[in-house]
Amino acid sequence: MPAVSASSESTVALPAGVALHARPAATFVKTALRFRSRLTVGSDGKVADAKSILAVLALGAIGGTVLRLSAEGDDAPDAVAALSSCVSGLVE
Amino acid sequence: MVGIVLVSHSLELARGLADLASQVAGADVKVEPAGGGPDGKLGTNGDAVREAIARADSGQGVVVLADLGSSILTVRHLLQGKANGHVRLVDAPFVEGAVAAAVMSSAGQSLEDVARAAEDARGVSKF
Repeated sequence: MPAVSASSESTVALPAGVALHARPAATFVKTALRFRSRLTVGSDGKVADAKSILAVLALGAIGGTVLRLSAEGDDAPDAVAALSSCVSGLVE
Repeated sequence: MVGIVLVSHSLELARGLADLASQVAGADVKVEPAGGGPDGKLGTNGDAVREAIARADSGQGVVVLADLGSSILTVRHLLQGKANGHVRLVDAPFVEGAVAAAVMSSAGQSLEDVARAAEDARGVSKF
């Protein structure tokens, strides 16, 4: 029997003045690593593995950018909810 | 947490990269620099590497990144005969690998996952 799989998606904006670099990016990646699902974050036509700090840094997302969060796996809805609230709460 | 050791011919390079990786990943993860020769000039120094590994080791293993050539030989020489896998020299880009490994370690990931994140750094575009 295949494992139960779910997918989930949401968009969330980076707070004004908070770029997804260095510490904020690490906070985001650490949140993603708590989940089993495959997680991606998209911005400006690019898509990154949300569990890879280097891929997330390479997005170069600046404050106010809308991020598209996608998850596939058994904890997908929880993962998207947690990442979304993580992004909203990021500070420099 | 998995410890990280950065071996460079230059102490300034090893220290600067340790600062950068700690700044990104947070202060909880141990990132230990080992750089320069015994005379304080550019070079490598097995004793400094051994001490850095001991400082970085808190029981969950240590990932070692080295900059070039004889840095790698120095680490290999030290680890010879101690192939229990607890201290792992990884084939990774120095800066990107160190940052990726430090963030993975700070998230409580295993030695295997921290080592893989460092090695996978080679394939990630910067922009």
